[in-house]
Amino acid sequence: MQYSQKVLDHFMKPHNVGKIESPDAQATEGSPACGDQVSIYLKVNPEELTIEDIKFQSYGCASNIATASIITDMAKGRTLDKAKKITWKEAADALDGLPPVKMHCSVLAVDTLRSAIKDYEIKHHLAEEAAFNKDAIVEELKKVIYPKVGEDIVTLKMVKYVGFENGVATIDVEIPKFDEHRDNVVEEIKEHLEKFKEIKEVKITM
Amino acid sequence: MKQIYFNNCLTSKPAPEVVETMIPYLKEKFYFPENFVSKGSKTAAELENFKKIIADSVVAKPSEIHFTTGGTSANNLAIKGYLTANSDKGTHIICSVIDYPDLLTNADFFEKSGFNVTYLNADKEGNINLEELKSAIRPETILFMTTLANHVVGTIQPIKEIRKILDSSNHKIAIHVDACEAYARIPIDVNELGIDLMSISAHKIHGPQGVGALYQRSGIRLGQICHGVTRIDNLETGGISIASIAGFSKAVELAFNDFKENTGKIRNLSDYLLKSIEEKIPYTLLNGPQGDKRSPHNVNISFDFIEGEAIMMMMDMHGVAISTGSACASQGLKPNYVMMALGRNHEQSHSSMKFTLSRYNTVEEIDYTVEKLAEVVEELRSRSPLYNKE
Repeated sequence: MQYSQKVLDHFMKPHNVGKIESPDAQATEGSPACGDQVSIYLKVNPEELTIEDIKFQSYGCASNIATASIITDMAKGRTLDKAKKITWKEAADALDGLPPVKMHCSVLAVDTLRSAIKDYEIKHHLAEEAAFNKDAIVEELKKVIYPKVGEDIVTLKMVKYVGFENGVATIDVEIPKFDEHRDNVVEEIKEHLEKFKEIKEVKITM
Repeated sequence: MKQIYFNNCLTSKPAPEVVETMIPYLKEKFYFPENFVSKGSKTAAELENFKKIIADSVVAKPSEIHFTTGGTSANNLAIKGYLTANSDKGTHIICSVIDYPDLLTNADFFEKSGFNVTYLNADKEGNINLEELKSAIRPETILFMTTLANHVVGTIQPIKEIRKILDSSNHKIAIHVDACEAYARIPIDVNELGIDLMSISAHKIHGPQGVGALYQRSGIRLGQICHGVTRIDNLETGGISIASIAGFSKAVELAFNDFKENTGKIRNLSDYLLKSIEEKIPYTLLNGPQGDKRSPHNVNISFDFIEGEAIMMMMDMHGVAISTGSACASQGLKPNYVMMALGRNHEQSHSSMKFTLSRYNTVEEIDYTVEKLAEVVEELRSRSPLYNKE
C-alpha cells in the first residue's frame, strides 16, 4: 500500500496552511485522541457568497494533511453552495486516490469544510439548524468508513438498523467478529454520533 | 540520498560476512543432514557446530538448541508445546499486558481453549508488577511467559527476580521468554536467569530472515506441535534452510565475538540520539526507562502536538526509516497497546516514534537524523491546531 505522488506532494508542500485572523467562519472536526483533527477558516465575500480565502490547520497523518490541502484548493473561489457539494470521493480522486484505510481522512476534510460553511450560514441566517431525527443519524453514518475497502458503512449495507428515541441512538451493524477493524468501526460510529447534543447515548449492536 | 535505517528490530540488514557465509550453502553445500553418505554427514557435523555457536552465546548446551523458521515459530513451539505436554499439571498461565503479540495471541488462543490466563500490569516504565505476580501464582500455574526486552519501549524484565518468586511456590512453574529483541543486545545466561524456554531470531541481529532458534532446557517436556518429516529438527519438522542456519551462526559469531564493544557502541549511540533530541527539540517525552533497565538499542520518544505517521512519512522523504505507535500507521487503526498500557494517553501514543539501533549506525547518521527531525517536527507543529493553543 502506497500513497500517490499527489498525496505526497500535498503532504510535503500543503496549500493554504495556517489560520485566518478574525475569519468569517470556522470549524474544527475530529479529535487528537483519534489521531486526526482538522480546523478550517473561511473568508467569505458577503455579496457573492464565494469563498475568498480558506486556510487549514491539521493534527494528523500524511493523508489527513494532503486531503485538507486539496479540499481547500477545491473550495477556494467557489460559492458556498458549490463548495458544500464537494464529496469525499471527489477529494480522494483529486489526489489520485487514497489507500482504503486512509479514506476516512477525506471524509474528515470534507466534513470540516461543510461545518465551516454551516457556521457561516447560521451566523448570517442563511440556514437554520436542521431538525434532528433518524435521517440525520443515517447521514452521519455515511461518514463512517469501513477501512478495509474505503467505502462508508451505509453504502456497504453494513448498517442493518437505525433507531432514535429519547436521546438514545441505536445502531445495528453487521461486521464479522474477527474483523481487525471491528473496534475501529465502533469507535468511529461513537465519535461521529456523540458530538450531537441531541444524542445522549449511542447503543451499538452487532 | 543517503538511506539511514533505525528499524533494526523490525528486521535488520544482513551483515556482509553473513551473506558471504551463506553463498556456498546456496550454491554447492545445500544438502540436508544425513547419516553415512559423505555430503549429508558433513552437513550434520556442521549443524552441530552451528548449534554450539548459538548455545555458547546463551550459556546453554548444544542439545538444548532447536533451529526454527524464526522467532514466531520458536514462540509457538515453546508455548503450545509446553502447555499441551503439561496440561495434566495445571491450566493456568501468567504473562503481561505489554508482551509481544506472539505471546498474547497464544495466551488468547489457550484462554479460548479452556486455560486461565493472568495478564500482569506494568508500571509507566514498562516494568512488570511483581507484587501482582506474587498474588497471581496458583497451584495450577504451569507457565510464566514474557518478553525479555520489551519490543516497544525496551524495558528489560527482571527474570532472575521473577524466577525466585516462581520458585517460592511449592511446584514447578516454567519460564518462557521471547528474547528476540534482547538477544545479542544484553547478556543472557539461561542458567543464571533460570529460563526454561527461550526464542531468538536471526534477522534482528544482522542474520538472514526465516530462521531462529528455540532454547529448551533439558528436562523440560514439549509436546509435538508440528507434525511431519524430520529433516533438521524434531520439533520444527520439515526443511529449514541450511544456508540461513549458517548465516544465523555467522551473525551470532559477529555479535558475540565483540559483544561488549558492539553493545557498548549501540548504547552510546542511543544515549547520544536521546540527548541530541532532548537538546534540539522541545516538548518531547521519553517512553520507557532510562539507563540499565533499558535494552541499549531502543529509543522511544513522543513529540507533543503532532502525529507519528506524518513524522514517519516526512523522515522517510529524508531517507530515514523510523516507526511509530500511531493508530494512523497501523492497519487496525488502533493506538499502540503497549503505550496505552503504560498509561500514556492517545496523543502520546499517536506521536511516539521508535528507533531501534544497530552497530552499523553512526554518529554522523544520528546528527543528520536529529537535524532533519527538528525540521520535520517544527514544520508539522506549525501546521497543527494543537500547537498554536499553547
